[in-house]
Parts: sequence; structure tokens; C-alpha cells
Amino acid sequence: MKVNEVPQDDVPDYSEGIKKGNYALDDQGKYVMVPSKGWDVDELTNRLAFNEYKAKVEETRKAVLEGKKSPLAYYMELRQMIPKFLGKTAGIATFRVKRHLRPEIFAKLKESVLDSYAKALEITKEELKTVPHNSQER
Amino acid sequence: MTTELAANGKPFVHHQAAHCETGVTSALFRYQGVDISEPMIFGISSGIFFGYLPFMKLSHLPISAFRAKPGSVFRKAAKRLGGDFVIKTYRDPQKGMDELRQVLKTGQIVGLATNLYWLPYMSERHRHNFSGHNIIVIREIENGFRISDPTIGYLVDCLADGLERARFVPGPLNPRGYMYYTKSVNPHPDLRGACIKGMKDSCNLMLRIPLPIFGVRGMRFLAKKVIKSPDKLGFQEACRHLAGTVRWVEETGTGGAGFRYMYAVFMQEAAELFGSEDLAQLSRDMTAIGDTWREFSVVAARIIKQRGKEEETFAKAGGLIFKCADREEAFFKNLQKVVRKLKA
Repeated sequence: MKVNEVPQDDVPDYSEGIKKGNYALDDQGKYVMVPSKGWDVDELTNRLAFNEYKAKVEETRKAVLEGKKSPLAYYMELRQMIPKFLGKTAGIATFRVKRHLRPEIFAKLKESVLDSYAKALEITKEELKTVPHNSQER
Repeated sequence: MTTELAANGKPFVHHQAAHCETGVTSALFRYQGVDISEPMIFGISSGIFFGYLPFMKLSHLPISAFRAKPGSVFRKAAKRLGGDFVIKTYRDPQKGMDELRQVLKTGQIVGLATNLYWLPYMSERHRHNFSGHNIIVIREIENGFRISDPTIGYLVDCLADGLERARFVPGPLNPRGYMYYTKSVNPHPDLRGACIKGMKDSCNLMLRIPLPIFGVRGMRFLAKKVIKSPDKLGFQEACRHLAGTVRWVEETGTGGAGFRYMYAVFMQEAAELFGSEDLAQLSRDMTAIGDTWREFSVVAARIIKQRGKEEETFAKAGGLIFKCADREEAFFKNLQKVVRKLKA
């Protein structure tokens, strides 16, 4: 890759002004570090993955509102966790975390358990009991 | 390039790097007065690699790694360059943070492994649950830390709470507060010897692991998978997998083309060090391999966008990976021969 071939595409909402380092050949055939503003290909694949993640969060949010899943499931998706890691973070066994994803069991949880979940997910206990009514924020 | 003072007033120069771990390692060495570049570290520590791990999933997609496993770059570089490092992990987050503060007060700069999702300064699109991101803490500031993240061109501030979370949240590759700093560094390391060790190790890793998922054989394995994927998974799902692969080639802090350009830089620097025309030629070969990986990414993007349906197919994308595999096999076989002639 030559210096003038380093991609400098405008993808402001992906890069947010952060430039990525790229090694490229200069005119003398010597490698130099060239900061790159962004690249469409890079942005495209990231966008696909990001949209997939967002869609999943949104799907879970709707399932919670319909009463099929507990709010815990929503916040777990939002934090990109799976029951295994949520359990480890909160200090609760994985099989219990999986049970707590069911709304009827989640409703009966003790305050102390809710506290540890709230701490693990970095939200307040009040937030943990509900999900936002229209699309999400982090 | 920015300069910042550590707690004891010693200046630290922040360089932009292409990759986090190599960037951090070279910065730690430079801070101790050993002038060594990022690609040099990458080559010496045998960072170049390929592994396709279909049974390990990260965000529901198989891993195709273009580098040696996180942590090994730093450890191998330290060993081969003769640096004595303190490496620590903690069970108790409070203890981990207290020790970090104490070490910073002595004027050391400290490397940390952190979770990308919980680093507060990361932009939203870059946040994903991956716990192998390396950063350097320079000093403590009011309710936070001054941080040099080599993948960002400037220094950033980070709140203490956020950093504690990023260091201790369990996740894939649980960091457990992994922290490292220099005890002493050999001021005149044996660069030539280290380079030869690194090159030999890389050749073995790429050519001689007797499993079909590593090295050049792993690339061929991936290529076959890519070619078959639209029949096996359906077009949509195949695109998802292809996009996942491209993310591994281009996005995950590689400096582009799955670290191949960075290795080309290493070859160039080594050629100057040894005064060897063979290595300079190998550098040009590696650049060509990097260009082929780039081409693969571009073709993949066109498939995903469904542009040029006729000529851009999964077979073509897979064919490009085959081409890379063949070229890399030839490259590392050549390198094996060249290394034997080099004298430390």
C-alpha cells in the first residue's frame, strides 16, 4: 500500500474523529506511519455488526414489554453479556441467572440479588425493574 | 506525537501505533531508553500468525485470528530483549487499584489489559465485549487517570470507576486486572539475535503446527469454508460470516490487512539492521501479500453490498484467501532459508 492509497473516507459517525494508524510505502519505498480518517469497507462491516446488536437489543426490549422476558434479559443484551459472564460479574451462578431471565421468577427476587445485578450492570435498582418504553439509550 | 510527564517528572512521548499490544510494549521499552519501533516488537515477538477457530465464538461469529494470542507478544518481546517485568493479576479489584496507584507514584508507567466495552472514552461503535485491549496509564489525576491508548493519536483521561470496571469485569479472556511494568531493561539489547529468534519462531508457527486450523493450512481451511458458505448457510448468513471475517482482517486494531503490512515494515527494518538484500525482497513480497488481503476485503464488501453480482462471488473471495495462503507459504519457506544465513 502506498501513502496515497491509504483510505481517507469520510465516516464521521464511525470514527468520531479518531484516526487509525496505517503503515504505507512512501516515494522512496520506505514504510511510514500514516493516520487514516476511515475506510468504507471497515465502516460497512462494523455497521452490519452494530445494527445486528441494536436489533437484538430492540427485540429483547419488545419481548420484555410483552411479558415474555424479564428486564434483566434486556440489560444483559445491552451490556453485550451472556448469562455466564453476567453471573460471574454479579457473583450469581449461571443457572440462576438463566432462571432470572423469566419474568415471573424475576418478579419475586430478593432486594439483595437485585442489588448485585444493578451493580454488575452499572444501573440503578429502579432502572433494572423496567425497560425504556421507546427505543434504547446506553 | 505528544509528550506528557509521569508522576516523577520523566517525560513520556506518546506515539500513534497501529495495534494496541505492540504499541504498548514498544512504548514501555522506549520509556526506559531503548529506542525500538512498534513493527520491530511485532516481529521479534512473532506476532504474525493465523488461526481459524470455528468453535470459539465472539459475538456469535467464529474467530479468525491474524495475530498470536493476546499477552504472548508482550511476554515473548520481554524475554527476547532481556527486559525484567513485573506481571500481576488480582482477585480483589480494590487491591488492584491501590497497587496501581502506588506504582504510578514511583514514576513508573503501567500497562494494563482492559475490556473495550467498559472503557469510558471509547466511541460507541468501537465498544464490544473484548477483554484484551492494552493501554498505558501514565499518572493519576484528580478522580481519574491519564491514559495513553496507542490506537488513538492523543492522550485521554479516564475516570477511576470506569477504569476499575474495564480492568475487572469478567468476560471472554477475563483480564483479572492484568498489569505489567518494567523492573529493569537491558539498555543495549541484542536486537539481531532477538530478530532471528522471532523470525524462526514465526516460520514454525505458520508452517509447522500439525493442526489444520493454524498457519497457512488454517487459511486454506477458512478459504474452503468461505467458498461453501452460501450453499451451507444461505446468502444472508454467509454475508454475516464474511463480514465477521473482514472485521478480523481490517478492524481489530491491525493497521490494515491483518497485520501483514506491519510485518512488511519489520522485514524492512530487519533488512537495514542486517544489511541483507534478501530481507528487503521479502519485505516487498509481504507488501504484496498485504495488498491481496486488502483486495479480499474490498471484494467481500462488494459481495455484502450486492454490487457487481456477476463477477464478485464467494468463490472469488475464497480464491483470494487461497492465493494469500500460497504466497505466505512461499514467503515463510523463503524466510526459513534466509534466516539460516543470518548471523547474530
